[in-house]
Amino acid sequence: MDIDYSKELVQVEGNPPLAELDRVISLPLDQKPNKNFLIAISITSTMLLIGVICVGLTFYYGIGMWGNNQPVGWAFGIINFVFWVGIGHAGTLISAILFLLRQKWRTGIARFAEAMTIFAVICAGLFPIIHTGRPWLAGYLIPYPNDHGLWVNFNSPLVWDVFAVSTYFTVSLVFWYVGLIPDFATLRDRTTDKIKKTLYSIFSMGWRHSNRHWQHYEKAYMILAGLATPLVLSVHTVVSFDFATAVVPGWHTTIFPPYFVAGAIFSGFAMVVTCLVFLRKVFHIEHIITMNHLDNMNKIVLATSMMVGYGYSMELFMAWYSGNHFEQFVFLNRAFGPYAWAYWTMISCNVLIPQLFWIRKIRRSIPVMLFIVVFVNVGMWFERFVIIVTSLHRDFLPSSWRMYTPTLVDLGILLGSFGLFFTLILLFTRTLPVVSMAEVKAVIHGAQPSHDGSNHIQQIGGE
Amino acid sequence: MSDNKDMISKDDMKPDPDYWRSFEELYNDPAFIESSHHEFKEGVTDDFNPGNLSGLSRRKFLALVGASAALAAAGCTNYRDKGDIIPYVHKPEEITLGKPLSYASTCTGCSHACGILVKTREGRPIKIDGNPDNPVSKGKICTKGHADILSLYDPEKLSQPMKRGNGGGLDKTDWVRVDNEIIGILKSAGEKEIAIVTHKIISPTAKKVLDDFKAKYPSVKVYSYELFNEQNRLSTWQKSYGTPNYPLIKWNEAKVIISLESDFLGTEGNKVENTRLYSEGRNVDDLKNFNKLYVVEGNMSLTGMNSDVRIKLRPDAQFEFVMSLIDELRNNSVSSLKTFGSKYAIPPGKLNNLLKDIRENKGKVIVYAGRTLPENVHLAVNYLNELIGGTALYRTDFVEYSVLPLSNKEEIESLVSSMNRGKVAAVIHYDSNPVFHLPADNKYANALKNVPAVITLCLSENESSSVSQYVLPVNHGLESWGDAKIRNGFYSMQQPVIYPIHNSRQKEAILLTWISGKASSYNLDLYHNYMMDNWKNNIYPLLKSKLNFEQFWNGALHDGVVITGNIDLPNVSGQFNSSSFSGINKSSAVSGFVVALKESYSVGDGRYSNNGWLNELPHPVSKIVWDNYASISRKTSKELNVRTNDLIEITSGSRKLTIPVNIQPGCADNTITIELGFGRTNAGTISDGVGFNANILQSKDEGLSSWIITNVEVRKAGGSYPLAATQEFHAFDKGRTKDAAQKRNIIREGTVDEYKKNPDFLKAGSEEVENKSLYPPYDEIKKGVKWAMAVDLNKCLGCGECVISCYSENNIPVVGKEQAAKGRDMQWLRVDRYYSGDPEEPKVSQQLMLCQHCDHAPCENVCPVAATTHSPDGLNQMVYNRCVGTRYCSNNCPYKVRRFNYFNYRDHFNDGYQQSPVFNLIFNPEVTVRSRGVMEKCTFCVQRIMEAREDAIRDERPLKGSDVKTACQEACITTAIHFGDMNDPSSEINKFRNHKLGYYVLEDLNTRPNVTYIAKLRNTDKEDA
Repeated sequence: MDIDYSKELVQVEGNPPLAELDRVISLPLDQKPNKNFLIAISITSTMLLIGVICVGLTFYYGIGMWGNNQPVGWAFGIINFVFWVGIGHAGTLISAILFLLRQKWRTGIARFAEAMTIFAVICAGLFPIIHTGRPWLAGYLIPYPNDHGLWVNFNSPLVWDVFAVSTYFTVSLVFWYVGLIPDFATLRDRTTDKIKKTLYSIFSMGWRHSNRHWQHYEKAYMILAGLATPLVLSVHTVVSFDFATAVVPGWHTTIFPPYFVAGAIFSGFAMVVTCLVFLRKVFHIEHIITMNHLDNMNKIVLATSMMVGYGYSMELFMAWYSGNHFEQFVFLNRAFGPYAWAYWTMISCNVLIPQLFWIRKIRRSIPVMLFIVVFVNVGMWFERFVIIVTSLHRDFLPSSWRMYTPTLVDLGILLGSFGLFFTLILLFTRTLPVVSMAEVKAVIHGAQPSHDGSNHIQQIGGE
Repeated sequence: MSDNKDMISKDDMKPDPDYWRSFEELYNDPAFIESSHHEFKEGVTDDFNPGNLSGLSRRKFLALVGASAALAAAGCTNYRDKGDIIPYVHKPEEITLGKPLSYASTCTGCSHACGILVKTREGRPIKIDGNPDNPVSKGKICTKGHADILSLYDPEKLSQPMKRGNGGGLDKTDWVRVDNEIIGILKSAGEKEIAIVTHKIISPTAKKVLDDFKAKYPSVKVYSYELFNEQNRLSTWQKSYGTPNYPLIKWNEAKVIISLESDFLGTEGNKVENTRLYSEGRNVDDLKNFNKLYVVEGNMSLTGMNSDVRIKLRPDAQFEFVMSLIDELRNNSVSSLKTFGSKYAIPPGKLNNLLKDIRENKGKVIVYAGRTLPENVHLAVNYLNELIGGTALYRTDFVEYSVLPLSNKEEIESLVSSMNRGKVAAVIHYDSNPVFHLPADNKYANALKNVPAVITLCLSENESSSVSQYVLPVNHGLESWGDAKIRNGFYSMQQPVIYPIHNSRQKEAILLTWISGKASSYNLDLYHNYMMDNWKNNIYPLLKSKLNFEQFWNGALHDGVVITGNIDLPNVSGQFNSSSFSGINKSSAVSGFVVALKESYSVGDGRYSNNGWLNELPHPVSKIVWDNYASISRKTSKELNVRTNDLIEITSGSRKLTIPVNIQPGCADNTITIELGFGRTNAGTISDGVGFNANILQSKDEGLSSWIITNVEVRKAGGSYPLAATQEFHAFDKGRTKDAAQKRNIIREGTVDEYKKNPDFLKAGSEEVENKSLYPPYDEIKKGVKWAMAVDLNKCLGCGECVISCYSENNIPVVGKEQAAKGRDMQWLRVDRYYSGDPEEPKVSQQLMLCQHCDHAPCENVCPVAATTHSPDGLNQMVYNRCVGTRYCSNNCPYKVRRFNYFNYRDHFNDGYQQSPVFNLIFNPEVTVRSRGVMEKCTFCVQRIMEAREDAIRDERPLKGSDVKTACQEACITTAIHFGDMNDPSSEINKFRNHKLGYYVLEDLNTRPNVTYIAKLRNTDKEDA
């Protein structure tokens, strides 16, 4: 391989003219949806409908419709919550942390990843409400002044969750919207449709692409990125506290916060890759979301996979090293007990299979990478299953040990959450530019001045 | 104004510059001045003439307005909506709203007639407890007694007399018509027999009713039966000693108890008394009198679980065992027991110790044979007790009394044959269910077809009522009058505590109506008056009481018992007739499979099968709920190639039964143990599809006894039937989970010798847990009361009385088999059972587990809405209204004692069975009825604590720990549960908390529980193991 590391990688292939970029990106917004789109959305909305029915059954009859029992008080509800919060981590990481680190390749994928974050957090945010026994009282979790003098219990990690997730959602949404403003302006300028023009005008907030706007915009974007960065770490840290602060063996572990964050980024990136593979193909933007992007993301998947693997092995090590027999039993029970299949699914999907990404060819092969990232998502779902269910089902008193089996309603709600997620994604691809037009223009060949002058914008015309 | 007037007189029309309101005034216009002298302007008052006004005074007007408003309001309300709370118009003298009243009565659940106290609130009974004045039960009752209150409110109790119509269905009718028809039938019976089939009669007055009935209708014959009875014991006693009065046992004085296939702590006989006396010998502070229990049995029973040494032996080999023991003791030979031991693979150490203990404890050792064993075993045991001095433990001052002996097999057979020959005019099922209970080969149900009138008196429909022409509802025990005599020395009194809920009648009153020959003679007090007359004329004079009868009678009802002194002590001493032993049939062939039929721990002989609480009470050994099953050993299961839940088919002669299997550790090989009382048909919603009717295996003449059937064939039937258990079936996991409870210090035990040598053995080697916490310690509750509980595991037998009492006290819902199988049972306290050691000869440990009310409760800090908090008196509280149901507390509870309402179980279970209007009456009004989505758990009966506190405040005295008794504590026969104020240095609980054998479960978690467990001591030595 002869890679010249002194040169930056090409972010947008083929040097398309700027107008062409606008046209390609906003094309889906200008066209009527085709048959494939309708098929796709009817599938996802059917899934969503199944989920809605199952949630309806749960609300009407009670949590008894699920497989939860004594001692497994938490199962699919919280697994799905943690899973979706995890998925929601990639977006902010890509848009905020990679932005602060000046990773130019993020521009092509940031918009989509952020949207994904928001949708995933919406999915996640529903579960804590759905999983309560009396969802109509979920408002009790919010501290509001009342004449009973009743407050939430600030010692409880579930209260911290409420704050963490809602803050994360708010900041992500604002960050996403701020990034969208220049693109709304571009769309406003392009469209001839009156309704669209009005809407875009409202949302673009009078953006005129002026120098001053850009200056403010860049500052604001930078500040928001700075605000969002700690959130990437805090949200899943707080989520992990739900487990880490409990006394249950297998939960009560100090490694949980970093290990959960790594896992979240891992699953988030895997989900981004899963979606982008289809997106770039369907919308013919392979030159904007290039193989280099996917390659980079696969590298992160590989890196986080090993962090997660380190977490798994460290848990085992600490169980042995601590000499705590409850802890030792839990980990032996995970690996060799009745739920060993779930544990080994998790290990193979999360640690073993992603090792294939060491090979460059595999990192750049669409079918193989798709296969791997789907497995990563499966594995990360199982990680939460293993943590939650296998720890609970055999904890301290052997008299209370019991197996957990999900019901159809459990599976329906899981399916429904995917339905909700993909329905939102599909609607998003039709209503908003999936790639940030403004940012991509800044990274095309010659958009920025360079030391040797070779990247100067003049050269584009010269070619 | 007067000033103005003066002004006019002084200077005419002079402007007043100082102050004016109008020009007229300013210029002192005389017209204005004039008008200003009148209060009203001219003309305004012209019309005012009081005489012209209507005659309506203001008072009257207001009265009318008020009245019409009231009328309008009254007219608009729907006064049919009477609401729920109606104050008494005439308040009964003794009732104070909100204060419970207790009435003494007698339990009618079985023939042991325990004394009960029925707690009533505003006229409805809500809880049954034991009557402390009763000399036998001494304030305690069994699970069935506690659960009897649920049967009172069973919505499926019959509400009307019914008659089978031409279409074959039962039609509702009325008492007058039914009475007239039946009186007609009885009168026209003539020579033909009128058979009354009843359970054991224990009431002297009821016996008199039957006698009167016989006098009126001479062809009447009374047959009484019990599915489980002591007939074998009684008949052999007659043979050995020449008297029918089998003596009771002084369990409390025994040093060594050898129980042969007898569940005397579980289902057999005087369970309540046996248990109490036995547990006196299990006091860790009185090691000198600590007893040692050997149990020789086929299947693991409750008694076997609590034994110090357990020898598993198939029931048909018991005779061989007793004979070789006799041989050994009589001849001092060492061979016969050894041969026996090796034949049945019994560890020689156990047998040697047994011999040693028998020889060393002469006069303090008793051998007790189970009631299901055949006569020859009982005869041999009678002799054995003579040999080893067991006779010293026979009780001669207190003897069982039989009002009416049970009918024997021959009598029942003769009834069936006369029925078949058409010689029976009528059969009256007197609150009995012979179609279900009598052995199948009696063909009783078939014979009933030849009887023109079959009359069933019953509480709710049953197998016998379904083949009857007349089905008449009888009163529940709590709606009835009665008396009972089960021992010498006292009578138990029964009084109704509620007006009959339905249009039912007391069964004795029904007979009295028929005796009178007039349907109109019935009134509510018919039997009441009859009983009073009987007492006044026949019993009261014997007692030579100093009180006049009315005082005596009221006192008797108040106390629930009449102590008579030994005016009726029968002769129990008899000389042992050695020929009874020498003459016994010594042949015993032991081969193939043997079936042992046992009484159910929960539903009794089937009478309680429609009782949800009892069905949901986990079996004390297997923890299986809502079903019976065939217990077999692991080896037998391998031979049959079945696993737990697989169906097997048992064939004995022409009788066949298909039943699921449960592999029971400690079960003897080739022994199949099945509990009876299940598999009811036509018994109600709850009992539908519960269990399998194994009564059909019983035969009137085959088998070693009615309950031990040999020569059966067993094969795998194919298919399976899921059994539901509250504890998982993973008792034998190898390696990681083996003996987990011991390894985790959940169960801590020792032996008596160990404790004698080193009283601190339990604490040795364990480190003191450091009391470090992020949160302020609750140990700071030093002032006032701090509640704590202690459970003495030496005394806890695992019977489940506490569980049922808790159901009743705390309004716990029944969830049903399907939910129990999912692990969603709602019991606030449970008895955990752990096996340890060799899976074939397991040691069993039990532990009552309930909310530990930890000082550092892990549940409290995880609840996001602060729905579970700590009270100043050390309770871990649950605020239902605040709970949103995140179940985080339950996950974080190391003891897993929290229970979540996954559904609204009252609605979810059997189409809202528990929401029917009658059922609702059972609820304890002091305890919130929880709905779905809410977490709940043991509250240490906080309602009782609050009541005691209110009383203390009213009486202006400090609250004492001994003022409160929790429902479980009250129910515990063996007094294993202690409760009180740990801050009171003189309290009993304080003694237990600082006991050398005291420990906390999961101490190293530093949860600081307020429930102390007193470690179990096993009276064993090394060789026993």
